[in-house]
Amino acid sequence: MTHGVDGEADPGERGTYVYGVVRVDQVLPDGLTGLDGSHVRLVGHETVGAAVGSIYLERPPGRGADLVAHTEVLEALAMRGPVVPVRFGSVLPDDDTVLSEVLAPRLDRFDELLSSLGGQAQFNLRAAYHEAGILQEVISENPAIAGLRDFTRDRDPDAVHPQLVRLGELVARAVDGKRASDSSFVLEQVRPLVTQDVVEPGRAIDQVFDASFLVADDRRGEFEDLLEALAEGMHERVRLQLTGPLPPYDFVGDDAWD
Amino acid sequence: MTVTSSQRRGGGYLERPAPSGLADVIEIILDKGIVIDAYVRVSLIGIEILTVDARIVIASVDTYLRFAEATNRLDLYDKGGKDLPEMLEGVTESGASGKTSGAIKGVKKAISSKSDDDESRPAKKSPSRSRRSQSS
Repeated sequence: MTHGVDGEADPGERGTYVYGVVRVDQVLPDGLTGLDGSHVRLVGHETVGAAVGSIYLERPPGRGADLVAHTEVLEALAMRGPVVPVRFGSVLPDDDTVLSEVLAPRLDRFDELLSSLGGQAQFNLRAAYHEAGILQEVISENPAIAGLRDFTRDRDPDAVHPQLVRLGELVARAVDGKRASDSSFVLEQVRPLVTQDVVEPGRAIDQVFDASFLVADDRRGEFEDLLEALAEGMHERVRLQLTGPLPPYDFVGDDAWD
Repeated sequence: MTVTSSQRRGGGYLERPAPSGLADVIEIILDKGIVIDAYVRVSLIGIEILTVDARIVIASVDTYLRFAEATNRLDLYDKGGKDLPEMLEGVTESGASGKTSGAIKGVKKAISSKSDDDESRPAKKSPSRSRRSQSS
């Protein structure tokens, strides 16, 4: 199909797919390949370089495998040094355009970002309630909820529609309160150990929060130990799930850079 | 940054899943990273829409009804003596059965009409499923 960049039969025009930006002196892993199995190489400009691959412009639209290939390249790069991930799917006409349109105009900004990200990795933390447990808590602590529940439970839902809405509203509010205090309990202890964080409050009944943290390599042990201790202490009510180390997807800014 | 393969430490209460499935990867990277003024983009069919839907949970009557349903459903898990068929029998006896099933259908529709976060948690028992056995 579209393997290799120097194949005999040229099935169409090629562009340059951009994975991320690294220091120009970063040595890429041997044999690193990305989308469609294409070789990943570095296009350098002064102190920074873009990790890129060739891609046929006429290829079929992206599938899950492409997304996975993109992340695998970024993870491989992150093992060797700081990397600024570029959003999935970015293709430029050729290598020269990557230099003139991406690297050159933002050289200082890339330099700064790569320095600030050095020696750090992202971790994602998800905190979740056991649903039955949290509902049990709010029922037993709120007489109004318990009362409405008893009233509506075995009745025709049409006949008790307003009460059901009210019950749901009270439960939502009570769970919000729990979520706020459980979130602060965890985050207040984690924050001193991390450089930056992005926290997304939960909205489903069982979600407490989803967070991303930027953690310095020399604090990682402490960070993991703390989370292990928190997970053990809270496990009857809250499950903690940690993913990482990951490339710093959430800490490179999400606006267009132009 | 030095990313190494993750090692497990401690007593194992902290879950350390390796992101493996597509859903995990989508959650971690979709719409992440700097945006460059690209010439063309590799578009992803279907995937973006799925993720956006899963994230939107608006505080609305539908959401409240879903919360209420979850709250009232709780007994199905923890009450030892009374099982599902008995409870449903009770519901049917207490009112005109035609009307009851219509009402339940209405709630079910309200619950499932908004795309909700249950989609990303397929293991969870859906509200409609526990009701469906009644009409059979």
